[in-house]
Amino acid sequence: MALTVQVLPTPRRPLLSRLLPRVFTRSPLALGALTIVTLWAAVALAAPLLAPYGPLAQDIGDRLSPPTSAHWFGTDPLGRDILTRVVYGARLSIPVGIAAVALAALLGTLIGSVAGVAAGIVEEVIMRATDLMLAFPTVILAMIISAALGAGIRNAVIAIMIAWWPSYARFARGLVLAAREREYVEAARAAGASAGRVFMRHILTTIISPIVILSTLDVGHAILTFASLSFLGLGPPPQIPEWGSMIAAGRDYIDQAWWIGTFPGLAILSLALALNVVGDSLRDALDPRLRKS
Amino acid sequence: MTLLAYVGRRALVLPVMLVGITLLSFILSHAVPSDPVAVNLGELAAANPDTVAAFRHRWGLDRPLPQQYLIYLWNLAHGDMGVSITTHQPVLIDLRHHLPATVELAVAAMLLSLVIGIPLGITSAIRRDSLVDQVGRSVSLVGVSMPVFWLGLMTLVIFYARLGWAPSAGELNPRVATPPFVTGFVVVDALLAGQGGIVPDALAHLALPALVLSSYSIGVITRMMRGSMLEVLGEDYVRTARAKGLSRWIITLRHAARNALLPVITVIGLSFGGLLSGAVVTETVFAWPGLGSYAFQSATSLDFPAIMGVGIVVASVYVLVNLVVDVAYAVVDPRIRMG
Repeated sequence: MALTVQVLPTPRRPLLSRLLPRVFTRSPLALGALTIVTLWAAVALAAPLLAPYGPLAQDIGDRLSPPTSAHWFGTDPLGRDILTRVVYGARLSIPVGIAAVALAALLGTLIGSVAGVAAGIVEEVIMRATDLMLAFPTVILAMIISAALGAGIRNAVIAIMIAWWPSYARFARGLVLAAREREYVEAARAAGASAGRVFMRHILTTIISPIVILSTLDVGHAILTFASLSFLGLGPPPQIPEWGSMIAAGRDYIDQAWWIGTFPGLAILSLALALNVVGDSLRDALDPRLRKS
Repeated sequence: MTLLAYVGRRALVLPVMLVGITLLSFILSHAVPSDPVAVNLGELAAANPDTVAAFRHRWGLDRPLPQQYLIYLWNLAHGDMGVSITTHQPVLIDLRHHLPATVELAVAAMLLSLVIGIPLGITSAIRRDSLVDQVGRSVSLVGVSMPVFWLGLMTLVIFYARLGWAPSAGELNPRVATPPFVTGFVVVDALLAGQGGIVPDALAHLALPALVLSSYSIGVITRMMRGSMLEVLGEDYVRTARAKGLSRWIITLRHAARNALLPVITVIGLSFGGLLSGAVVTETVFAWPGLGSYAFQSATSLDFPAIMGVGIVVASVYVLVNLVVDVAYAVVDPRIRMG
């Protein structure tokens, strides 16, 4: 019996682009947070234009200067301008945070999808492995990995990726399992679409929005983790302007030069806070139960 | 399923998890480009072929990796986690000395998070959109966005360097004689040694690091408690209780808060992992002689026996805490066992 089933294309625009404008026009807090994130991104892009000095320029005669009109955020023990280094720090932290999360999400989605699609013993093995990885507190796991690989930006990113992919794998697997039960997926399968096509065309497109949203929620967290690793001496070498290592440098001067550690910390806090608010707003918009209340 | 069967099933998985943890720690610390022989023995001893051979044999480094792992497991089963390169002491003894300080810090931080987070979450929910709610929401947002090491540094700048209200970093005033090591918990050891006078000093040193460390879990617990409470307040049985004319307090505490606490219990277990992560950075800021300081010191000096030891202990503690939390959840909510 020949039966033709026509699989209709999804009529609505993708979830993300439908929600984005609404989220930010409705809540002033979310809009404010988005503005702060945008400002930081602009600062990172335009750092060489904005920074009053060079990030490595030393002025030994003006070392440990408190905030003045010449040095708004003061100077460090080598006479480097802290405002300049905070501005340049954004150039490092933002891409690192995004890269670490993107890599973790990519790897996790891949592994989690394999588990969700393959089912059976493969799924069992993968999910037990993620359980194990999740038993290690993130910073400790990342610390072990980046210590083993050696300090440095690239290795810190790899460490965060290895520490974080399991939660994405779990999330992606859950989404795949849910998507598999949807009618349009069943319809596609009934229409004779291959497993690969069903996955690429119908499952992957469904699970991508929530994963992207989870990722935005995590960028702030990744920036914090990177700063923690740097603070512990597992990030870039000390001359590179990085917020976590700048705070570490301030540790030895708490009773004479409070400004060394204060401003880089405020930078991390403001960016992480804004990213968390943006991520939260997106998540609330996605979760209809929360939206209703 | 009865409660006993549930606990039994969960407990059966435990040994498998623990062995898995040792395997993962082993893989992580052996998938390293650096040579453990050179790092462990130092240049002088590494130049002596006999010493190198003996070392390799002792740790089974002359054998294939799977066999090395079994040797490690065998040694571990006999209470031998190897010798730390940095302290030259058995790792087990090092862990025994560093664990209590971290437990002290983590427990204090968890207590603070519960004492602050739960009431704040509840009040935030029942007075929705009020000033208290704004404060509660801000606290939870700032808490989860806060770089803990920076907060630690700032509290030291303000409360120690500027105001002089808090003592300096460390577990005790350097001029105070440390009580002899019995349990490792300074307060307990001080009481055992009859040095009750140093207890206030010990508690004063604990206050700032515990508060700083709790910032993240305060944020998580406040947010979770608020969300869960809001959900419960919309339930039919709360409306019924209100219709019966029960007082606001009784409804809030007896009907709503007790049920709203359920999902928060799970979060408490999960945020314990965040607490252990935070302990590493908090301990380095406050010169706190715990597992975090030890982990940091061993990770940066490629002290692999020590790193594996810390990894195994921390992950096991985390798994055990979550087992206890899940069982507690099953005790208070029978639906979990049925599912």
